[in-house]
Amino acid sequence: MNPITPIINGMAITLKHMFLKPVTLQYPTERPKVAARFRGLHALNVSHDKAKCVACYLCPTVCPAKCITVEAGEDANHDKFATVYEIDMLRCIFCGYCVEACPVDAVRMTGEFELANYKRQDFIYSKERLLEKK
Amino acid sequence: MVNLTIDDKQVTAPKTATIYDAAKLNGIKIPILCHDKKLKPFGACRMCLVEVEQMKGRQIPACTTPVTEGMIIRTSTPDIVKARKMVLELLLLNHPLDCPVCDKSGDCDLQNLTYEYKVNSNRFKDEKFNHEIDYNNPLIERDMNRCVLCGKCARICDEIVSFGALTFIDRGIETKIGCEFDDALNCEFCGSCISVCPVGSLLARPFKHKARFWALTKHTSVCGFCGTGCNLTLGVKDNKVLTTIYDENQGFHKGQLCVRGRFGYQFINSTKRLTTPLVKKNNRLVEASWDEALEIVAARLKGGSDVAALATPRLTNEELALFKKLLLDNVGTKNFDHAAGYAHAALTEGFARSFGASASSATIPDIQKCDFLLVIKTDAYETHPVVGFEINMAVKNNGVKLSILSDKKGKLSKLPDAVTLVHRPGSEVAVLNAIAKTILDEKLADGSAASLSGYAELEQALAAFDADTVAAQSGLAAADIKKLAAEYAAAGKALILFPSGQPYTGHTAELASAVANLAILTGKYGKEGCGVLCLSEKNNSQGAVDMGFFAQDGGMNGLEILEACTNGGVKTLFIAGENPLTSYPDRTKVKAALEAVEFLVVSELFLTETAAMADVVLPVCSFAEKEGTFTSTDRRVQFFKPAIRKGAQTKTDFDVFSSLIKRLGGQAPASPAAQFAEIAAGTAGYQGLSHVSLRNDGAFAAVAMTPALVVPKAAAPIVAEQGKLALVVGSALYHSGTLSQYGEGPMHVCPEGYIEVSRSDAAAGKIAENDLVTVSSATGSVQLKAKVSLRIPAGVAFAPYHFSEAPVNTIWAGQPVTMVTVSK
Repeated sequence: MNPITPIINGMAITLKHMFLKPVTLQYPTERPKVAARFRGLHALNVSHDKAKCVACYLCPTVCPAKCITVEAGEDANHDKFATVYEIDMLRCIFCGYCVEACPVDAVRMTGEFELANYKRQDFIYSKERLLEKK
Repeated sequence: MVNLTIDDKQVTAPKTATIYDAAKLNGIKIPILCHDKKLKPFGACRMCLVEVEQMKGRQIPACTTPVTEGMIIRTSTPDIVKARKMVLELLLLNHPLDCPVCDKSGDCDLQNLTYEYKVNSNRFKDEKFNHEIDYNNPLIERDMNRCVLCGKCARICDEIVSFGALTFIDRGIETKIGCEFDDALNCEFCGSCISVCPVGSLLARPFKHKARFWALTKHTSVCGFCGTGCNLTLGVKDNKVLTTIYDENQGFHKGQLCVRGRFGYQFINSTKRLTTPLVKKNNRLVEASWDEALEIVAARLKGGSDVAALATPRLTNEELALFKKLLLDNVGTKNFDHAAGYAHAALTEGFARSFGASASSATIPDIQKCDFLLVIKTDAYETHPVVGFEINMAVKNNGVKLSILSDKKGKLSKLPDAVTLVHRPGSEVAVLNAIAKTILDEKLADGSAASLSGYAELEQALAAFDADTVAAQSGLAAADIKKLAAEYAAAGKALILFPSGQPYTGHTAELASAVANLAILTGKYGKEGCGVLCLSEKNNSQGAVDMGFFAQDGGMNGLEILEACTNGGVKTLFIAGENPLTSYPDRTKVKAALEAVEFLVVSELFLTETAAMADVVLPVCSFAEKEGTFTSTDRRVQFFKPAIRKGAQTKTDFDVFSSLIKRLGGQAPASPAAQFAEIAAGTAGYQGLSHVSLRNDGAFAAVAMTPALVVPKAAAPIVAEQGKLALVVGSALYHSGTLSQYGEGPMHVCPEGYIEVSRSDAAAGKIAENDLVTVSSATGSVQLKAKVSLRIPAGVAFAPYHFSEAPVNTIWAGQPVTMVTVSK
């Protein structure tokens, strides 16, 4: 084959792309649109101004990365609730098993994916930080 | 044995077995909710339905049907599976599906069966129950909405615990388990009902929501409270003991526990535990390193003859033997003792001279095998509750005749046909002597007795114990004493039980010999179901005696050591785990002794009031953090391993003693196992035992007996004084020694000391329940809460000794009976 032909072909492709819409996202000025089923940062669902979580311990049990810490307590009405609910994002593998295991739809995964931080301690998300924002 | 076929498998089973037992015995699983190994068959849940060919293929419950020769049984035909599915559907009709918040989840029989039988829909519709949940007591939560009416709780409370707190109330669809008048639960809180509940109706509140069942690691261990030697399964998570787990196959007691065993474990992970050695500097205890602390202690121990030691019988056999070795060989002192020096005298002096062995001649399983049971003091139930359960079962299931000789009535007195002879406090030995005399006079003695040494002397000495004279002194009827003697002598197999321990100063060598005389005279010892069982107080009291950790060959005993501390004879005192300030008689004297002694070193779990006075405090390990062996009251040697890791700055007593030996230039065994090998070689009855052989099951150390008749000296009768009550000190059901004060469970139900008085005395002194009264004796006075009770006879008062707050030893100086005034 003529050694020039492949170069011309390549240049043609390059030229074509100069007229197409670019695929690169100008992050962070441009934001991606995440899919509805994207598995990002967890959130604890709220109902009647309280976290729905009943501290059944199914999510820490099913979690393959062992990144969820739950401690249960009893409130004034003798109802069970989570006194501690922590997720260590450094260990989380975002598999979504916790959401699947939850019997009361208390935990879900949001589209939030910007989890970078400066200190290791900041990667441990407490119940306060996980509670769904209104 | 009976031959039968289960699921096409030829099997054999004992004649008394039910189909359920036969199947279980042969590894065939039949699902069930209402059955427990220890309880009588009930047939409530209908889960165990099987088909028997001879019964025309009808479905019958396996748990209530006895096996017969040639039975052909099928346990899982499609019809049976269908029937079981419907049983589950009907149960789930009213059972709330709140598994996520139910603490039983993961250990729930109903949940497991629902899963196994794939019951994921329900053909029926009904409303759930809306019963009020009983949160009224701190230990047991009762949620009757979850109940499946298997009746196990009501049955165990009746058949084994014999309390009868729970029963079926109402009828039909309204049926539920309730307490009297549908009121709140108020019982002795042994938690047996929790242990058998197949669902989450009964829950242990101290463990509630702490962890899920599947997250716990299970470690078998031996209970560290009383001398019964119950086995425990500790539920551990994150290096913390969170609960005790029920296992119906564990130990002679089949998993049955008392309130302290089940709920008293919190002291292991208490935040009050000592975490680092403390050394006194400028009159204050300050934190120090182990090297520093041990160096100071080792330097003081070099003194030799002016060193003395007190150890708690809660240490392991290995630790006690090593401590003895340290003191004898490396320090050079014979002054060491345990349990105040008198609490073991029943064994070390009484049984030693009467039976030629410092151990009981009977075992706890003998209780089920005897025909006649004599219990000295109803306190036997309080000191050893699981032995009490054995007595309940023996009386109720085997028709054992129970007689009780006591200074007050108690729970045992309520058993069917139990005869309680309530004598004046302090006259036990005289009454026992009168029984012995009756046996001799009425020619009820065994033929062989006359040839034993001491027979003639005993016969002569007993002349003073005529039934009529003793009856007048002790407040009993002569006829009752004679009847008891006749019944005891006539019984085929008879057993005598008595508790011993630090509060029971009257239960001395004399009482042990008086009791032993009865057994020896009638030949009721050394046989199955016969003998005398001294219930020693702490988990390793018998072990401490077997290891020889008591005053011998001219060494000072416990009380003499304290005396010597006061007068300067002892300059260095090493207290390993004892808390004499609260548990020894006469607080003023003990305090003076501990203040006077030049150097006091205490190894402890907690900064007790004794440890607070020390110059050096060494933080040591509880039973859950070490390995070793305990010897129970009936000489069952049991091995246990650590359930959790010990704290970074705590050591086992074994390590403390071995490092001290090394600092004093001696050689210590490398491990508890090596120490036990030495023990096994040198201790009578322990031959052939090793940590490896004891790994799965404990073993009885044999007791070799050479009986002799000894003349027991009876104390002079107590003279009643106008306006004064005869105070007897003892154990409360919820506590054991002073250690149980650090367990939350026991402290929830019995948080403080009290004095129990009779109704008539309460009326005379205008004392009402829970009044704060001042109790004074010749030694001092203390304020205690009053308890008015029916079981105490007029003129008598009872107080438990366990409590550091308002300690009873301020008024009790060690006499079996103390005359006190009680005023508001």
